[in-house]
Amino acid sequence: MKTPFFQRASARRGSATTLVLLLLLPAFLAGIVGLKAATDRVVRAKLPGSSIIYVPSGKLLKYSTFGFRSLAADLIYLWAIQYFSTPTIDDRFDHLDHVFAIINELDPRYQDPYEIGALIAVQDAHDVRTAFTILDRGAANNPDQWIYPFEAGHVALMTLKDYPLAERYFERCMKIPGAPAFVERLRANAIFKKGDLKTSWETWLDIYDKAPDERTKKIASNHLYNVKAAIDRTALEEAAAKFRERFGRFPDDLEALVRAGLVPRVPKDFDGRDYFYNPATGRVRTAISPWRR
Amino acid sequence: MKIGAIAGITFKEAQRDRILYLLFGFAAVGIIASRVLAVLTVGDRIKIIKDVGLASIALFGVLMAILIGTGLVYKEIDKKTIYTLLAKPLHRAEFILGKYLGLALTLLVMTAAMTVIFLAIVYAHTLKIESGLLVAVAYVFVELLLITAVAILFSSFSTPILSSLFALAFYLIGHLSWGLEAIIKKMGPGAGRTAVRGLYAVLPDLENFNFRTEVVHNLPIPPAIYLSSLLYGVCYTAFILGLAVLIFQRRDFV
Repeated sequence: MKTPFFQRASARRGSATTLVLLLLLPAFLAGIVGLKAATDRVVRAKLPGSSIIYVPSGKLLKYSTFGFRSLAADLIYLWAIQYFSTPTIDDRFDHLDHVFAIINELDPRYQDPYEIGALIAVQDAHDVRTAFTILDRGAANNPDQWIYPFEAGHVALMTLKDYPLAERYFERCMKIPGAPAFVERLRANAIFKKGDLKTSWETWLDIYDKAPDERTKKIASNHLYNVKAAIDRTALEEAAAKFRERFGRFPDDLEALVRAGLVPRVPKDFDGRDYFYNPATGRVRTAISPWRR
Repeated sequence: MKIGAIAGITFKEAQRDRILYLLFGFAAVGIIASRVLAVLTVGDRIKIIKDVGLASIALFGVLMAILIGTGLVYKEIDKKTIYTLLAKPLHRAEFILGKYLGLALTLLVMTAAMTVIFLAIVYAHTLKIESGLLVAVAYVFVELLLITAVAILFSSFSTPILSSLFALAFYLIGHLSWGLEAIIKKMGPGAGRTAVRGLYAVLPDLENFNFRTEVVHNLPIPPAIYLSSLLYGVCYTAFILGLAVLIFQRRDFV
């Protein structure tokens, strides 16, 4: 049977169209790639931080993630890392706590965001208060994790130089099972830096007595040396200052303080050595560094 | 001429589709509800209205394109009307292009209607018509034209449900593919980076049609991007339609 004329014509046109399309499609593809590159080259204005101003609270998101709270937390966390590490967004840290609060709310047991959020706050945003807020939230949501009060104490000690605050955080950390032994030493160090030499001495002495190994004992011993030196130095320099008020000059040696009745006796350092005294300045120092004993 | 006739029929057919009016109703409610949302904010209310209004036009427009577009070709095959059509001196490419243009016309009317409601709400607050909003809506429409082509492509060889899923995936990929740029920057040189770079170049970047943030915040839009974005949209749409025709040509209707 003969094929009708219009069907043969249609088949011929079909083949021709296929051929044309096979030629055109690669051209279109090349056009897509070229135009994409051209569009990417155009610099568009960006509104710093605009993308997160209207991000709702984690509580609201919790109900709108349809059971995928943990996944949503992962995705927001991944995005947050990229966002906060983009230096071209000038005011990216304005909503730092808000963003990490959302992640923490969605997945309170997800540990990394607390630590990284606090790290970004301290190192990049230079916002210590936000770091404490994030770490406190971590501690509240994970009371069995010692890392949060430990990190907060570390920030208070090293960055904020708020030694009473550092002491409180380290004390809280020590009460959590699994906290490493060195936290107690950090607490003792914070007490020393706070200026409470009596408590510092008692704390280091306690660490020394309970030291499980020689290394810890040696560390505690060095600190005890340092604390005793600080106590003695303070007492001797105050006495030297009183001596100067009375006689118009610093004493020639430390024995002169005993003779003047300003100290009962000249103390020795923790190892039984004499302190060095400078009669020109009235300053007292140890014979060796506490850390090189 | 034949394309025009198919387009006209498709337009009439789409007009009878209840889902179109349902989506339009939702879009209208969304745009009007932006006024209520604006009341809840502290500060710039008009920003909320613009954001919600533009988002409603874009989202419901995409839903219209996908839900109607994915059924267009399939319905003809399912109801066997395709046999009557293809038995006539009608080229398959004309059929596909006619269907595409008919739906594009439907979307143009719907987008225009949604825009009128949106501009009326904005006018009620600002007492002025902002031309920037029309620019944002115009590029939303360019995006809709591309999504329509994608819906018709999948409709030419798959069921409406699968086609809707594929088209939706295309839309999501299109709005997330810019993230590959950040990955490329962090990857070391090698085959992986080249592959990701290739993906980045080929995958749709629908953010090229997104001027909503700039318009809402009155940020300057570089003039060069208007043309390159438009040409990018036209080129991508032509590529997808070409693919649709190629696939549809090779289908056997027995």
